Amino acid sequence: MRRRVVITGMGAITPLGHGVADLYASQLEGKSAVGPISRFDARAFPTTFAAEVKGFDLRTHLKGAGPYLRCGVNTQFALAATRQALEDADLLNTHTTDRDRIGVYLGSGEGSEDFLSLISAIGRGVEGPAQKVNPARFVSHMLDTLDPRSEAELEMHTTGGHLADVFDLCGPNYSCQTACAAGSQAVGEALEMIRFGEADVMVAGGSHSMIHPLGVTGFNLLTALSTRTDSPTTASRPFDLTREGFVLGEGAGMVVLEELEHARRRGAPIYAELTGYGTTADAYRMTDPHPDGRGAVRCIADALKDARLSPADIGYINAHGTSTQANDAAETAAIKGVFGEYAYKVPVSSSKSMIGHLIAAAGVVELIISVMAIRKGVLPPTINYETPDPACDLDYLPNQARERKARHVLSNSFGFGGQNASLVVSEWLK
Amino acid sequence: MAATSRRAVLTGLGLLTPVGRTADDYWQALLDGKSGVRGLTAFDASTLPCRVGGELPDFVAKNLIEKNYRKALNSMGRPVQIGTIAAQFAMHDAGLAKGSVAPERFGIEFASVMAATELDDFARASQQSVNCAPRVVDMATWGGPALKEIPPLWMLKYLPNMPACHVTIMFDAQGPSNTLISAETAGLLCFAEAVRIIRRDLAEFMIVGGSDSKMNPLSMSRFNTFAPLTRRNDDPTRSVRPFDRDRDGTALGEGGAVFGLEELDHARARGAKVYAEVVGYAAGFDKGKTGAGFSKVIRRALAMAGITPADVDHVNAHGCGSVELDAFEARGIAGVFGTDVPVYAPLPAFGSTSAASALMELAASVLALKHGVLPGTLNHENPDPACPIRVHTGSPRAVTKPYAVKVAYTDLGQVAALVVKKWEG
Repeated sequence: MRRRVVITGMGAITPLGHGVADLYASQLEGKSAVGPISRFDARAFPTTFAAEVKGFDLRTHLKGAGPYLRCGVNTQFALAATRQALEDADLLNTHTTDRDRIGVYLGSGEGSEDFLSLISAIGRGVEGPAQKVNPARFVSHMLDTLDPRSEAELEMHTTGGHLADVFDLCGPNYSCQTACAAGSQAVGEALEMIRFGEADVMVAGGSHSMIHPLGVTGFNLLTALSTRTDSPTTASRPFDLTREGFVLGEGAGMVVLEELEHARRRGAPIYAELTGYGTTADAYRMTDPHPDGRGAVRCIADALKDARLSPADIGYINAHGTSTQANDAAETAAIKGVFGEYAYKVPVSSSKSMIGHLIAAAGVVELIISVMAIRKGVLPPTINYETPDPACDLDYLPNQARERKARHVLSNSFGFGGQNASLVVSEWLK
Repeated sequence: MAATSRRAVLTGLGLLTPVGRTADDYWQALLDGKSGVRGLTAFDASTLPCRVGGELPDFVAKNLIEKNYRKALNSMGRPVQIGTIAAQFAMHDAGLAKGSVAPERFGIEFASVMAATELDDFARASQQSVNCAPRVVDMATWGGPALKEIPPLWMLKYLPNMPACHVTIMFDAQGPSNTLISAETAGLLCFAEAVRIIRRDLAEFMIVGGSDSKMNPLSMSRFNTFAPLTRRNDDPTRSVRPFDRDRDGTALGEGGAVFGLEELDHARARGAKVYAEVVGYAAGFDKGKTGAGFSKVIRRALAMAGITPADVDHVNAHGCGSVELDAFEARGIAGVFGTDVPVYAPLPAFGSTSAASALMELAASVLALKHGVLPGTLNHENPDPACPIRVHTGSPRAVTKPYAVKVAYTDLGQVAALVVKKWEG
C-alpha cells in the first residue's frame, strides 16, 4: 500500500501579506497587490510596476535573524515562510521528532546579482572601437566592490542549506529551479520521497524574487511583462482578451508534507491530503508552450491518475493563468483536452491576477490558496476579467469569490523551457 | 524502500572534460595521471588572485553539436552548450537517436546553475549607463535607450533549466524533467530522483547529467571573493591537493558529464551495453559539518544497496583541496570506512565545476568498475591527521569488490551519496 501524505503546516510571505490567513482573505476580496516598483528606480523600463512584498522585516519572523539579513530577499522570505509552516505544524521543537527524517525540497530562485558592481565594472571595462570588455580591468573593478558574503549567498543552494541549519531539518535537502514550475515540482517530488519512505516529513515549497534590475531587464527584453503602466492594478488580467503580459510578483510559500501515520501519531493538525502529482516536458520551444498544451494535457492527466481521480471529481482548478496570450490560451486548451465537456462546469481562477507571478514560488503559494479554498468552501476569483476571449471560454470565476464546496482541487504550473507540473490536493475527512 | 522490481542501469556516458571529451580519452588521462588544470587562457586573468583552472581545450560548440540544432547555439550560454552537447554524446554512446525511446517515457534530470553573463552582452548598454565612478549606474539610461543594446534572448542563455530544455527538444523527451541546483550535490540528487522516476514506472530512459563553467571573468571574480581557491598559480597541475597536509584550496573548472539511466528490461530488450547499476542513494544535512551527518548519509545509501562497508571497493570523494572542506569530507568518510577502504579523488585532474563536479567525478568510478582498475589520486603526498582516511595514490590498483560509493557535499553541509555496482551481465 502506498504511503499517504498530508499537509500539516503552511506558511506564506506574499505581496498580499505575511501569512496564509491574510493571503487567502485578500484573495477572496479580490485585492490587487500590484504597484510601482520601489526596490530600485524602474521608471525608465517599459514595465515600471510589480507586486512587491511590503513591510517585510525578517527580525519580526525569526529570532537570531542577524546573520541572514545580508542574504537575498529570496532566502529571507523562505526563512520566514518555513518558520510559519513549522510552527503551524508544531514541528519547531527539535526534541520531539527525529530531525533526520525531516527534509527540505525548495523551488529556489537565484538571488539578486550585485547589479551596480556588475554593470559599472563592465561599462568601465569597455574599450576600443569594437566596444569589447577588457577582462582584466573588469576583474579589478569587481574585486574592488564585491561583498564576499553577498556573493556567497547568491549561490542557489544556499537558501535550502540555511533552512536546514536554522530549523534542524537534517533529512534529504533538494533544490530545483524549473522556472515557473519549480514550486509545484518541489512539492510533487517531495511527495514522492515520502511515499518512497525516504523521509517522514518534507518541508517543501518555493521562494523567489525577480523584482531586481536584471530580472526586469530580462523579462522586458523577452516582452513577457505587461507594460500597462497607466494602470498597474489591472495589468494582470488572466484569460481576458486584452491581456498582454504577466506581472512580476515575489515571495515564498512553504508547506509541511507529512506521512499520514506520522501525523496521526503526534496529533498534528491535518489541513488536506496531497493526492496527485504530474510532471512532463513540452519538448517544443524555449519560451512558448505547445499551442495545444501537449505537455500540459499529459501533466494534468498524470496528476489525476496519480490521485486516482477522474476529471469530474475536480471541483476547482487553480490555473497557472499568467496573463500572457500564449499561456492562457494553451492552458485553456489543455484543460479542455483533459476535462472535455466538464471543462465548462469546473470553476477556474488565477491567483496571479492579484499577486502577480511569483516564479519559483508561484506553484506552492497557489497550492496553499487551493487548500484554503477546500477548507473554507469559498473559491477565489480572477480579477480584472472584463472582455471574454473566444480562445478562453471557461468559467474563470470573474471578479467575485464564489461559495462552492470543492473536495478535490487541481493546481497547475507551467514554465519557460516547457516545464509542466500539476498537483491535486484533496479534502481531509477525519 | 518501496518494493519494486524495476532496476536502473547506466547505458550511456557523454563527457566534456579538461582531460578528454570521450570516455576513453578521459579514462586514459586519469590512468596516466594527467591534469587539465592550467593557467587560465580563456581571458586575461592577470588581476585575479587565483589564475588557474580546468578549461575545456579547443571547445568549439558549433563543431560538436548536431547540425540541425546548430542555430540554437546563439541562445545558449557556455554551460548550456556544454550540457546539451554532453547529452548528445551520451545519447550517441547509448545507441539512441531521437524517437528511439517513446517520448512520454523519456525524461531528464539535470544539475545546473544560473550561468554567468557573457560580458559583451552588456558592453554597449553598460558603457552608455555608467560614468567613471564605481557602483553608479544611470537607471534612466539602462532601463531606457540602453535596453535596446542587449540581445533580446539574453536571459534565456543563462537560465538553469535551459540544458534540460534544449535536450528535451533535441531528443523529443516529453517525460518528467527537472533541474536541480544544489551545487556539488545536485548531480547525485539527480540520480536519486531519476531512479525514483524509473522505479515508479514513469520512464524507461532518463538523461542524468550536469554541466557548468566557471572559466569566465564574472564567475572567477565572484568566486575569488568567497571560495577557498588555491594560490599555487605557478604550479597549476599540482595545485589541487586532496586531503594533503599542504593543500591550500581548490581550482575551478568547466565541463559536463551526462549519463543515460535505463530501466534494465528496456536496456536488455534492445541489447544495450551496460556500464553499471545504480543500487543505492541517500541525502541529508550535516549540521555544523561535524562529519556525523555525512556518515549517516553514507550508511543510508549502503543500506538501500543492501551492503556493508566491507563490500565497497573504493569511495569516490570530492577532495577539492580546501583546508576546511577536505577535513569535513574525510571525517564523514572515516566515520563509515575508517582507513579500510581506499578513497579516490579525481578532481585534481579537472578542477571543481560545482553543478557538474559530482558526475564528472562519478564517471571515473563507473569506468574503474568497468575496466577493473582504479587510478591514483593526484597530488596527495603528505597525509594530514585531520583527514583520517586512506587515500589511494600512485599507480592504478586492481578493483577487487563490486561496489563504488560516490559522495558529495556543499559548503553549507548538504550531503549526498550514491552506490553503483559493477555490471556483470
